[in-house]
Amino acid sequence: MEYTLQRAGGPAPDPDDQVQRSIFLGRLEEMAQFAVNWGRKNSLWPFNFGLSCCYVEMATAFTSPHDLARFGSEVIRATPRQSDVIVISGTPFLKMAPVIKRLYEQMLEPKWVISMGSCANSGGMYDIYSVVQGVDKILPVDVYISGCPPRPEAFLQALILLQQSIQGERRPLSWMIGPQGVTRMPKVSMRDERTPERVAATTLRTPDEV
Amino acid sequence: MSATIQEVRPLGVIGEIRARFPDEALVEQATADGIPTVWVPRARLQAALRLLKHGLPQPYRMLYDLTAVDERLRQHRAGLPPADFTVVYHLISFERNSDIRVKVALHEPDLQLPSIVSLWLNADWYEREVWDLFGIRFDGHPNLQRIMMPRTWQGHPLRKDHYARATEAERLVMDQARVDREQEALRIKPEEWGMKTADEDHDYMILNLGPNHPSVHGVFRVMLQLDGEEIVQAVPDIGYHHRGAEKMGERQSWHSYIPYTDRIDYLGGVMNNLPYLMAIERMAGIEVPARAQTIRVMMSEFFRITSHLLFYGTYAQDVGSMSPVFYMFVDRQKAYDVIEAVTGFRMHPAWFRIGGVAADLPQGWERLVREFLDWMPKRLKDYEKMALRNTILKRRSIGIGQYSTEEAIEWGVTGPGLRATGLAWDYRKARPYSGYENFDFEIPTAVNGDVYDRCVVRVEEIRQSLRIIEQCLNHMPSGDYKARHPLATPPRKDRTMEDIETLIHHFLSVSWGPVIPAGECTMTVEATKGLNSYYLTSDGGTMSYRTRIRTPSYPHLQMIPYISRGMMVPDLIAIIASIDFVMADVDR
Repeated sequence: MEYTLQRAGGPAPDPDDQVQRSIFLGRLEEMAQFAVNWGRKNSLWPFNFGLSCCYVEMATAFTSPHDLARFGSEVIRATPRQSDVIVISGTPFLKMAPVIKRLYEQMLEPKWVISMGSCANSGGMYDIYSVVQGVDKILPVDVYISGCPPRPEAFLQALILLQQSIQGERRPLSWMIGPQGVTRMPKVSMRDERTPERVAATTLRTPDEV
Repeated sequence: MSATIQEVRPLGVIGEIRARFPDEALVEQATADGIPTVWVPRARLQAALRLLKHGLPQPYRMLYDLTAVDERLRQHRAGLPPADFTVVYHLISFERNSDIRVKVALHEPDLQLPSIVSLWLNADWYEREVWDLFGIRFDGHPNLQRIMMPRTWQGHPLRKDHYARATEAERLVMDQARVDREQEALRIKPEEWGMKTADEDHDYMILNLGPNHPSVHGVFRVMLQLDGEEIVQAVPDIGYHHRGAEKMGERQSWHSYIPYTDRIDYLGGVMNNLPYLMAIERMAGIEVPARAQTIRVMMSEFFRITSHLLFYGTYAQDVGSMSPVFYMFVDRQKAYDVIEAVTGFRMHPAWFRIGGVAADLPQGWERLVREFLDWMPKRLKDYEKMALRNTILKRRSIGIGQYSTEEAIEWGVTGPGLRATGLAWDYRKARPYSGYENFDFEIPTAVNGDVYDRCVVRVEEIRQSLRIIEQCLNHMPSGDYKARHPLATPPRKDRTMEDIETLIHHFLSVSWGPVIPAGECTMTVEATKGLNSYYLTSDGGTMSYRTRIRTPSYPHLQMIPYISRGMMVPDLIAIIASIDFVMADVDR
């Protein structure tokens, strides 16, 4: 006699289907990668670092109206050794460049860089003798935010993009396991991605009304 | 302008100087701003400045600015003494409510003149800046070192023959060797800065604070000589935020430079546009319509509020209370909602234009402003309980970092830092601009000039700003939002298709930009942090010949060693918080 939760007289359960439903099948390594990346992306600790105007908008994102805690990134660290992500928020000055570089080197792997604002992206308005023309001349950058300064919401979006990218990363789980080296997600241009949606807009709000 | 000043004082200050130096041929220069300007020979500089500071009735006690001009490419110099470089001293007399500009001509290769550090303590950094950016030496300066550029830098960037663009320079390679070399140049050599590592019976600790430290508000570094936790000597080191804004003015058109001014005091937003545009408007002879003036006042006061709120929050945070900053950023958000609806942007709208503002106020602005005015006062009341009356905050700040009115003037301190010492001197009252004479508001002052008082004054200023905004709301004049003047930008489009002259004029004005008549002009405003002025020199072109930006935070920072000596390290943090500076306002 077979005992099931189904009413008597129904079709006999498919054993394969039963296995699929009650037993998880997958590669342990991928599971581990997924879990580790999930943990990493939801507890990104930013370095308390700011260069100029953009830092004010970044700090605005930390406060209550925008509430960065929703993304697990509110734990600002005052030392590079405890932080996971450095936001280059402002102009990379020539006099500051060796300092930025050293602070970045003092961060422990895995570490990520967000370049916030036009100055950090490319020098922006300041093609001038004392400004490095983009922080990517001295550091690898994961996410670029456009704007001068970008809005706090743009910073939040960059953080979400970075989280998505971290979820897709492959880093060795240990120096004993699997291939060594880091595989990152390809960088996508949000401008290209959103162009169809933006071009489709037909009604624009007038600036003459609030 | 200069005629009116001479009516008040028949002899004039230049007459007073002439009376003391009868043998010298002192050249008097007419400027668009009407500030008495006199060229003195190098040998007489110190004597003339000493006379102005100590020898006259109602003396000129504040060294307001000290800068230089590379005159080598300047064409419109009729009537001025020949010079390759000019060093300019700008002094203020509070008793006379008047300024004077003293100029000294220098010739290559003999680019040196006597230092005036013995006369004014705050000349120290100004002279270092002129040395760094122009290569002019000051004899007798105690430590004539680079201040803006890295120690490893070659050349003097504000000279006309120095390149302006980073893309003109060699490609930057920041490899390990370069990092090591630059880091070595940043290493503290105590004896160079007058610090000691040991005494007969004492060992001192040398501590480096910055250039990236959570409580120094930006990229700013202080080198400390400590005896235990007591500060024996504090030496600020700046220049980490030098964006070359003054050099930038020499290659942007008068109009396209406006966004750069927003980023000088980056918390002041459009208020930075004001002195720059006022100087251009004075040189070009543009009268700004009453509506434009009132809109400018209203938006400037909004930015004063957002800036002071940020100060209030970070100040409370730096002396140990975490929550206020979160409340104050909510209010900042409310203010930005209004600012954004009017100007279209949050922090750097660059919304003022030569001759007025970029657009008229949007329909329904009154409601937004009214909502903000209803919202803010009760919040300020809460903060008073939460922050100002908090015992811990009080005990950490009362009696700390104290200075008197005399000391403030000696060091060039202006704005809330000066008013906290009891001197009720506000540029908006003393020399009203942009229609401030029509507003009813008070000048908040305090008594002790300490960290706490500087905060109290700013909080009261928020209330006064709300009063001014309310008056703007109730009495907004009608009329144009931009002057109908050929040099106002952008030029009017409506009649361009009717006659060819208007079309040509429009085309030139939007492609090359307006041509401002040759001349010099300084215009000053009471900015969020103190007096901010633009000293513009036009050589009759579409670009400025020299743009000098005098910012309040620069002299304020210079005072840190003086007021922090003998204090504890946490007191230094409170002092830094109370000064309310942004590094872009220091290094420009």
